[in-house]
Amino acid sequence: MQFEVIAKCKTTKARVSRMTLSHGVTMLPTFMPVATQAAIKGLTPEQVESLGVTLILNNTYHLNLRPGLKVLNEVGGAHKFQGWERNLLTDSGGFQLVSLSKFTTITEEGALFASPFTGEPTMLTPEESISIQHAIGADIIMQLDDVVSSLTTGPRVEEAMERSVRWLDRCTAHHEQSGKKDRQNLFAIVQGGLDPGLRDRCLDAMIQRKNDVAGYAIGGLSGGEEKDTFWRIIKQCADKLPEDRPRYSMGIGFAEDLLVCVALGVDMADCVFPTRTARFGVALTHSGPLNLKLNKHARDFDPIDKNCPCPTCSGKTSRAILHHTTTHETSAAHAITLHNITFQAQVMGRARAAIIAGTFPEYLRKFFSDYFGDAGYPEWCVNALRSVGVDLLEGKDLKLIPGSGAKWEYSDAS
Amino acid sequence: MSGHSPIPGLFFSLLTPSATRFGPRLGNVLLKRDEQTEIQIQTPSYLASTSRGVIPHLSRDHYASSGIRWVNIPFESFLDVLPPVPTLVDGKNSLHTFLGYSLGQHVVSMAVRDPADGREMPPNGNAHVAAYSLRGVRKVTPTEWKSYVYSCKPDIVFALADIPLTHPPYSQKRLTKSIERSASWLASLISPLPNNKYRPSVLVHMAGTTSVPARRAFAESLIEKLFGPEAETIKPLQTLDQGVTGYTFDLIPIRLSLEAAEKRHQDPFYPPAESIPPTPPPTIDSAPTPLSEVNLDPTIPAHTDQLSPLLQASLEPLSTTKLRLVNSVQTPHEILRLISSVGIDIFDAHWAQRAGDVGVALDFTFPAPSSHSPALKARENNKLDIGHNLYCSSYTHDFSAFGSASCGCRACSPVAPATRIYHGVDDPSFSGESSTIPSQAPAEPRVKPSFSRAYAHHLLHTHEMSAHSLLVLHNLSVLDQFFGGIRTLLQDRPEKWDQEVKRFEEIYDEELKVFEEARVMWRDVDLARGKGRLVREKAKQEEGTLGTAVEL
Ligand SMILES: [Zn+2]
Ligand SMILES: [Zn+2]
Repeated sequence: MQFEVIAKCKTTKARVSRMTLSHGVTMLPTFMPVATQAAIKGLTPEQVESLGVTLILNNTYHLNLRPGLKVLNEVGGAHKFQGWERNLLTDSGGFQLVSLSKFTTITEEGALFASPFTGEPTMLTPEESISIQHAIGADIIMQLDDVVSSLTTGPRVEEAMERSVRWLDRCTAHHEQSGKKDRQNLFAIVQGGLDPGLRDRCLDAMIQRKNDVAGYAIGGLSGGEEKDTFWRIIKQCADKLPEDRPRYSMGIGFAEDLLVCVALGVDMADCVFPTRTARFGVALTHSGPLNLKLNKHARDFDPIDKNCPCPTCSGKTSRAILHHTTTHETSAAHAITLHNITFQAQVMGRARAAIIAGTFPEYLRKFFSDYFGDAGYPEWCVNALRSVGVDLLEGKDLKLIPGSGAKWEYSDAS
Repeated sequence: MSGHSPIPGLFFSLLTPSATRFGPRLGNVLLKRDEQTEIQIQTPSYLASTSRGVIPHLSRDHYASSGIRWVNIPFESFLDVLPPVPTLVDGKNSLHTFLGYSLGQHVVSMAVRDPADGREMPPNGNAHVAAYSLRGVRKVTPTEWKSYVYSCKPDIVFALADIPLTHPPYSQKRLTKSIERSASWLASLISPLPNNKYRPSVLVHMAGTTSVPARRAFAESLIEKLFGPEAETIKPLQTLDQGVTGYTFDLIPIRLSLEAAEKRHQDPFYPPAESIPPTPPPTIDSAPTPLSEVNLDPTIPAHTDQLSPLLQASLEPLSTTKLRLVNSVQTPHEILRLISSVGIDIFDAHWAQRAGDVGVALDFTFPAPSSHSPALKARENNKLDIGHNLYCSSYTHDFSAFGSASCGCRACSPVAPATRIYHGVDDPSFSGESSTIPSQAPAEPRVKPSFSRAYAHHLLHTHEMSAHSLLVLHNLSVLDQFFGGIRTLLQDRPEKWDQEVKRFEEIYDEELKVFEEARVMWRDVDLARGKGRLVREKAKQEEGTLGTAVEL
């Protein structure tokens, strides 16, 4: 991997970088659409590439079950299997193991779980996770970490953090001797729950191992913790992580979350949200999400966003026909997915452009103003951005919304 | 072909005079939209079926890359809220605009009902057809239909027809009513609207169900010179037939009626109409699934042999030069036979699209290959499948393309995008990547390796919608090539036609066991995914028969 920071925001911690991997260049910060099962919901890889996406995510847990390693080895990896010619990232499989399988127990050896096919006890070790990811062949691979819910408290959090460091060593050792280091790049995952002390210790230990890792993910978040805690942990990690390594915030997808994370110094994020929400008929726009199921869109012949370059909007697909077909026809999900992926890319692309132009604080203020309008801003966003020197409320008299403050078009009344 | 017809409109011409009234024939559908735009469809060919106005599983950007030239829109899905939303679209090509079809590529036709929907319906009235929308049954009057047509301005319209879909068999009285209503509704559609430049090209559904005399009577009523108030209605036309571009046959009501007659014949106590609820026949006995009540694809026995005399009875009195269209054909074998014995020009693609819903990749050619393709499964009757049930585990490690023959569809020959969207600081000046070799632009598009059967197998089992997109693209392409093969043979070696049809029937299994097996596995994968999904799938199949439910 080549990683170069090419511009930094003078106010916030945001930066623009160029990340060169085996399947091309990805400009950061970027959002990665999730292709859990080696397909972005209903789209072909050619369509995804034409949207300007250069990095997507596959889930190791799922690909290991289906199509399985034998198929992936035969075909020469997940890129070839799904016809994706750009960069690819895989997770370690650990998160899904814990969230999808009830009977997973963690031992020092690895994660012990019941095979979904046979029910047999099966062990996923750090070495095994890396081997699976080698077979998948993603450009960026993740260490196996000991995942605990962000709501967990007590000694288990510390144990998980320390084990994650030990497992990182096993992953790097296994990766080192694999001969795949030139094409696949291993990221460490910072753990430590919501405890700043534990996070610091984890950061120290993992930064010591910097020469063995290509980048750092911030794990253990996005599991229902308070947003106010969330951003403080992100900030703590991003502040401390080395300049010359990409920083990846896992499971982040709401536009306001993305921009706060970018301002705090995050380079990459992924989430199923924009593709999942599309299937329910929710289109993301710069003036907030639109729920196309609502009757108020039934006779609206405008596209989702007149200025959007996606095929759906530039092809003048109207809200009315999307209303008519959404949740009934898969093609409505395709159309909105094409748009939502483009929207995410635009949010990040405009962030990059603003950072280069030295106008990132203005971009943040404009984005929040367009996106939330007069409805008020999430209080946590205001606080988080103040911590890096941007006051969203400058010259405004708006109410602050406590809690997550996500903006939704719930009903016909809104 | 410019100069072929100086005025805008839709024209059908026979390229080869058919040797007999009902023999195979080559033709050309020419749609002249304006000075610059025309679309030609060499026949025999196909039209793509739609659900809620869209071709299931395809994105609009796939419409252009597919070979689709004609799409048919069942209008009933737009009737849940009146006025129907497409009638509110501005412009002179409102259907194309609203639904995303290309003026230069797609002929768009409009019918009130989905011809693939054979569910029992409330009876039609003297002045209405019972149609089906998501919010229940809607009555459509001839006047309303005409106003929808004039608002939407489709390239072709199917006249409102009184097709009985109450429980067959039908009395003679019912058939007489059906004929009279259909003729009168046709008259109302073709009577010119004053001060309106738009003139719809009309296809008439040939009424009479399974009665030869009734069918003939309807056909004759089309060419009778009208008198009195009826003549006044259609002035300056003198007969209904003069206002008609072609003739169309919906096979489902005919098959249902034949099936009822057969059962009645076999069983004198077969309950008469109205007394029994419609129980769709079970699909497969060997289905391992206990959910026998979930019959998403009721199979109607084909009765193909009985169809030809009925279709011929309708066409017998009429001119041979008009377009002949058939809806809800079931197999390629049936297509060949209806070309042979009736001279049909256009067939719907519903069955091939539905194959994509249930995981079948079509793989057959006409003429049939001279050596047996080992890739296809041979049945007990020693015949080959016309496609692959990609749910089957034998495809897990099969990295070949969907079909045995080369195929230009976007699944078999994916094309690397020539351009991409840039979003900010990601263009070549920042990334340092060359933008798809600008020196060679506009270079030949780069064709990527085919998507494999193994990949589609994986997508089907993981319930990824992309599987259906790829399969529908491929299946329509196979169908396109099939019709291409038919036309080439008719052009170059017409004397070989009967022989090649026979050989095709001998080589390929017409019982479509591969479809049955695929449907069972498709249902089982759905079951494994949980009940909510299955319930939505069932609802989807009830509201329209194409497409699969969106996984939420
Ligand atoms: Zn868009
Ligand atoms: Zn193909």
